[in-house]
Amino acid sequence: MKIITILLQIVFIHIFLFLGATVQTLFHLPIPASMIGLVLLFLALSLHIIKLEWVEKGGNWLLAELLLFFVPSAVGVVNYNEMFSLQGLTTVIIIGVSTFIVMATTAFIADRIYFYKERDVQ
Amino acid sequence: MMIIVVVCMTIALYAIAKIGYKKLPLPIFHPLLLSPILIIAVIIIFHVSANQYLIQAQPLTHMLGPATVAFAIPIYKHLAVVKKYIGIIVTSITIGSLVAIFSSLLLALMVHLNNNFLVSVLPRSVTTPIAMEVSKDIGGIPTLTTVFVILTGIIGGIIGPSVINGLSIKSPVAKGLALGMSAHGVGTNKAMEYGEQAATFSTLAMIFAASITMVWGKVLIPFIITYLG
Repeated sequence: MKIITILLQIVFIHIFLFLGATVQTLFHLPIPASMIGLVLLFLALSLHIIKLEWVEKGGNWLLAELLLFFVPSAVGVVNYNEMFSLQGLTTVIIIGVSTFIVMATTAFIADRIYFYKERDVQ
Repeated sequence: MMIIVVVCMTIALYAIAKIGYKKLPLPIFHPLLLSPILIIAVIIIFHVSANQYLIQAQPLTHMLGPATVAFAIPIYKHLAVVKKYIGIIVTSITIGSLVAIFSSLLLALMVHLNNNFLVSVLPRSVTTPIAMEVSKDIGGIPTLTTVFVILTGIIGGIIGPSVINGLSIKSPVAKGLALGMSAHGVGTNKAMEYGEQAATFSTLAMIFAASITMVWGKVLIPFIITYLG
């Protein structure tokens, strides 16, 4: 029963994806259909056009299993011969170092502002 | 028929990797690293090319679309906290997105990375569809960018907990923002382990990072590339 609810809700969420694609085509937007769909779903929830219960179970499942949907693309990495060279290895190291710097900087800044703000409130 | 076999095989190996990672959370067991390795082993054994596999596995990749749409749900549920912390979000992500572009650029220049790789690596910190758009805009190779985005996600998911513990980041707001900014959807998936609030902020970081990176892709990156000649 729970599986059927999740499946139906995923089908329902697709409506917003298609609406997003329609809006994108109509207005020639350089934004992906899924991002427009996100905004449309958010608006539909905020304006009480649809109820949270209609999408919550399916949406939570999609988000919980998000990594699964990245798996085929990760397998596809083997298609890029350029990656299996010194150049590719160097790029992987650059990506690792840069990701570390971005994560640390963002965490540090957000944490500082957060505690500054919280102390202000008290 | 082949589609069902491939999709079921992928789900099964992903489930195995997920259980394994839960039992023994070593970086090498991260589901986004272990399951592709298992799948590559299987397709080699059965003489299936990576391209054939990718075509059959299309339904799974397709689900990234509705999954992106579904990110509206946590934002809607936590709208009050979002409004309260909008200043933190805007400040940390504006800086984070610039750090993402400039740190990749400087590192790439330092090691004299070839031009295609250099340009394609710049938008790697944001979610795949946006990164591909930006890559196209700035004269990169979108497919190469996709590879870099995936690698960013895998690395971010693996190093995330160590960075957060190492810097003793306490607030779920900062944990979420850092994961979503640095490792897009994969980081957001990791943020769920720190609770719903962290997941919400990670989602917001991801969306805001994507939007602002599109702006950088239009105004800032072309300027840098022209300057570099």
